[in-house]
Parts: sequence; C-alpha cells; structure tokens
Amino acid sequence: MGVIKIKRVGIPRALLYYYYYPLWHEFFTRLGCEVVLSPETNKAILDQGIKNSLSEACLPVKVYFGHAAYLAGRVDYLFVPRLSRVEAKAYICPKFMGIPDMLRARINKLPPLIDTTVDAGKEGNSVQCWVDCLRDAGNRLAADRKLVEDALDAALEAQQFFWKRLNSGMILTEAIKGTAIPETPVDSSSKPLRIGLIGHPYNIYDPYISMNLIKKLHQLGAVVVTPESLEADEIEEEASKLPKRLFWALGKRMIGSAFRFFSSQKLDGVIYLTSFGCGPEALVEELVARMAKQQNMPLMMLTIDEHTGEAGINTRLEAFTEMIVWRLKYADHIPPYGESVHCR
Amino acid sequence: MDLFLGIDVGSVSTNLVVIDPRGELYLSPLYLRTQGQPIKTVQQGLSLLNERLTKKDRICGVGTTGSARALAAVLVGADLVKNEITSHAVAALHAVPAVQTVLEIGGQDSKIIIIKDGIVVDFAMNTVCAAGTGSFLDQQASRLNLTIEEFGNIALKANNPVRIAGRCTVFAESDMIHKQQMGHSLPDIVAGLCEALVRNYLNNIGKGLEIRPPVVFQGGVAANAGMREAFRKALQTEVIVPKHFDVMGAYGAALLVRDHILEKGVKTNFRGFEVTSQKYQNSSFICQGCPNSCEVIEIKQDDLLLARWGDRCGRWTAAKAETFA
Repeated sequence: MGVIKIKRVGIPRALLYYYYYPLWHEFFTRLGCEVVLSPETNKAILDQGIKNSLSEACLPVKVYFGHAAYLAGRVDYLFVPRLSRVEAKAYICPKFMGIPDMLRARINKLPPLIDTTVDAGKEGNSVQCWVDCLRDAGNRLAADRKLVEDALDAALEAQQFFWKRLNSGMILTEAIKGTAIPETPVDSSSKPLRIGLIGHPYNIYDPYISMNLIKKLHQLGAVVVTPESLEADEIEEEASKLPKRLFWALGKRMIGSAFRFFSSQKLDGVIYLTSFGCGPEALVEELVARMAKQQNMPLMMLTIDEHTGEAGINTRLEAFTEMIVWRLKYADHIPPYGESVHCR
Repeated sequence: MDLFLGIDVGSVSTNLVVIDPRGELYLSPLYLRTQGQPIKTVQQGLSLLNERLTKKDRICGVGTTGSARALAAVLVGADLVKNEITSHAVAALHAVPAVQTVLEIGGQDSKIIIIKDGIVVDFAMNTVCAAGTGSFLDQQASRLNLTIEEFGNIALKANNPVRIAGRCTVFAESDMIHKQQMGHSLPDIVAGLCEALVRNYLNNIGKGLEIRPPVVFQGGVAANAGMREAFRKALQTEVIVPKHFDVMGAYGAALLVRDHILEKGVKTNFRGFEVTSQKYQNSSFICQGCPNSCEVIEIKQDDLLLARWGDRCGRWTAAKAETFA
C-alpha cells in the first residue's frame, strides 16, 4: 500500500446545511474524510450562483449553486444528497430534489457527486431517512462496513446534540459550531421588544442573504426569537390545526412556528422573511397573514431577492419596530376615536 | 421665534418645512426637484430658507426623512432621522386627527398606512415593482404631450374610462397605445389609466388591508385630479387631500423633531446655515478587503471626512467614527 490520500468531501454552506451540518460533518470525518465547507456567502459566491443557475430559481437555490461552484476544483467529492422526504408524508421542495441534476447540467468540472437519496417514504421517520442516505454514501467511500456503522452512530449523536442546543435557545450560528462553549444569554432587560423571526434557516442565518437581519433587529432594540427554539413536536402540533395537512415539509415548519409564535411566545411582533419566487411559501405566507390578523399580531412580510440596496429593508425594519413601540406606548390609554395622541 | 425644520430628501423631490412650537407652518414649504443631486438640493433649500428667516428666528431642531435621510442628516447635523412611514403618519394625523387610512404615492415608491386610534397599526410598501408611482405618470403625460397638471384634469372629462391593464406599467403602456389606435378619446384613456393604477395600488399594496375612512391621500401624485377621482370611485368614500399634501414627509419629520427636542430638552446639532456655502465631496470606492466588494460611499467637507457607509462589515463606518473622536 502506498500513501493513503485523504478524500476531501465538499459541503456547500447553503440550504439544508443549516439543518443538518453536524450530522454530515461528523459522519464524513469519522469515515476518515476531510470535510471542506465553503465560506460564508459573499458577493463572489452569489455572482457565481446567479451565473450558473436558472433565472426562475429562488435566491437560496442560486446561492447553493454559488457554493457548489466554489467547491468544484477544491474537493474530490461534493455531498449533494437528493432530498425527497425528510419525514413521512411530507415533501421537500422539488427544486431541492432536482439539485444534483441541475448542478450536473449547469456547472463544468464538477467533482463526482455523492447524491444518495433521502426518502422517509410513507412510514419512515426523520432519523431513519438520513441513516439510509448516509449508509449508501458511506459504502461508496469506505470498504469497511463497521467503520460506516460507527460513523453513523457518532453522526446521529452529533445531530441530537445540535438539536438539543437549539431547543435550549442557543442561536443557530453558535449551535452549529458544535463547540461546548455555553452561549452567554442575551441581556433582554435592555431590549424592550421581542420579535419573532420566521423564515427558512438558510435565509435568516445567512447574513449575506438576509442583509444582517438579526443584527439589525438587535440594533433596533429587539430580542429575536426564531423557529429553531421550538421543539419539532410543538411545531407539528400547531401545524396540524390546519383543516388539511400541508405536504411541504419546510412550509409546514414555517406555519407551525408562526402559529406557536402567535399563541404563546409573548411576542410583540413577527417578521416573516421569504424569498421571491418560493412556490410553497406563496401559499404559506397567505395562511400566516390571515392568522396574524385574527390574533391581532403585528406581522411584516419581507421578500428578498438579488437586491444589494439595504435602504429598503432598513426603512421597513425601522418603521415596523417603531410602529410596535408606538402601539405599546399608547395602546393602553387611547381615546376611542378622534383626538390624535401623538401631536399635542 | 424658536423653529423646527423637517427635511425630506426623496428620489424625485426634496422638501423643507419649518414649523413653530405649536406645529403650525412658519414659512410656506419648499418643494424642490432633487434631480439626482441630493447634497446640492439640500444646500439650495437651506439657502432659500435662510433668505426668508429673520434675525430673531432660531432653528432649534432638525429632522430628516426620505431615502436620502442619512445623507441629509450628516450634511445638516440632524437631531432625528426618521423613516418615511412614521413621518407620513405623524403629518397625516396632524392634518386630519381622525385619519384611519393614509394613501401615499411618491416619485418612486408608494405606501399605505393603517391608523387606529391615532397610532399606526399596519403599513405596506410597494415590493419589487414600482408600477403606478409618480415617475410613470410623468412619463405617460409627456408621451401624450401633456403637462402633468393637464393630465389630471383631462381625466375628469371622461365619459367612459377605458379598461387598461394595470398590473404592470409595461403592459399598461402597450394597452394604452392600442386604445389610442382604436380611436378612444384622450380623456377616456387618461381616466382609464388612472383607474388602472389605483386598482393596481389597491390590489398590491392594499392587499388584505381594511381601508376605513377618513382616507387621506398624500404625496406628489395627490396633486393629480384624475388619481384623486379614481381613488374616490374605487373606495366609494371621500378622499381627503391635505393642504400640504406634497411635503407631508418633511412636515412629519419637523413635528417629530419638535417632540424629540421639547421632550428631551436637548440642544440641536444643527450645523447652521454655513452648510450652504461649504463644499462637499461625495465619492465611492469598492472595498478590496474581501470578496463582498462592498461599494463604500464617503462624504467629505474640505478633506474632513464626515461620514462613510455601504460596508457590510462596518470597518469603514468604524474608521470614520475614529477620525471624529
């Protein structure tokens, strides 16, 4: 035997990276591979993504393409699981399912893709589907079955740890690092507002896509609560209040979180960040808006696309937080009608 | 007299309003065209004001709003920088205290503000599309060889406004040309266009909102009689256009800064009317620090750096703070 070359497996820092990175990272590392994660989204990556994808794709998919293009040439394999169902009876967006094919069609000099399928089927569950996918992937990379099974166990443990940290209220960008440093709790006494932020993690936690939305809200004096702080069961329970079950897995997650935010999180307002052209969300955001109205919860929809101008988002955030402060300040002692309370 | 100044620097117009402590207009408001030169226009506006003020007048507070509010704030030394929604709402409440709905259409954007019991409870702004804003009306008026004033009045002469596609201004324009070629009268076409724009506004921006009277219509487009009539028809209610409809943003900023100064009892940061004679250089550069290649803007006054912005990471914005300290 000659020198053993360590295989480099590339993982794009986009889309479901924000849900499953600890699982993937642990698995491939235990197999003896070197995991190469693309850097945080920047202008060059987005430009590459726009150049290499189709115009009808949503922004997060374009960003994924950018990350994949960045990794091509830097790794021996690219891990691009084909996502169908990550839980029983609920589908991931069809654009995610088609990503391995779209990448092959659009990006030149692509390294071999590890595109094993994730499909929980009708009966499966959210853990088993990943076990199946990763086992397939592992068997391609390593001859040793025992090694693959051990790696799987370790990976699942890492993912459980990640979920636990999220549920404890740790912000995703910290929790995903996997280090044991406990997060310093946000000093909420100095921040007068509690804002719920709904949106897919790949939008809200990518500071480039979201234009630093979370940071901006902090600067405006708000504590930010995201769906990641909720338990999967809570979300499922709320989502099942709909007369008909939603079959988009991520959309269901958004709606369940929104309902829970409206009913029991003691929030002053909710912001829903969506990406332009998102099919499933076109439906979900309408349902969320109606519910917010019923519950008299201030809600603002923010749609993002390839804009670079931040003025629009700043104006909306300022106006929204100001409206809430204004409401809180005066809502209790307002004359029923007539005299304005603001201008003496 | 102690006075408060509100400045609204928008894409199309720059407005300056001076009020007394009671909130009443002290001078007639200034409405200037921005013409892509916000700094120069603000300077011009200030020097016009300076000519009209007497020695006894003192500016005790300055508030800025509009898309160039940050720029204007640096320039004049503002005490308060407010977003357009709050400014417009406050001004509408001042003009019509019982107002429940504010329709605002400006040069490049449009918004709707829902007010209940004197507080803003909801608002919406146009999204990706700027269809139906003032710039489009300007463009169509000049295509029909009409001034924008004539354009609005002609609409009132319509007997049977034609149906024009309002979803997108590109479609609206081709629809309009088609109707012209078919031989419809000019008033019917112009009125049809106004109705299409109002329909588009209500469907897009007003989507899902309950529009209750009193309805106040403000912003530059409120000058257009055709648009006022189209709103009245669509909403089936009286549409109030306040006297100073075209400078409401600046008016609101002035009211807000008055409250701010009187409440806090602080001294103004206003840099004085010398601002008008000073030379400002604005420039931009692309930061090479990382692949984000941010476009950083800097404003200098005689080589003294006043402000920088546009960087995502904040390294240039922070560098500015240091030079100040």
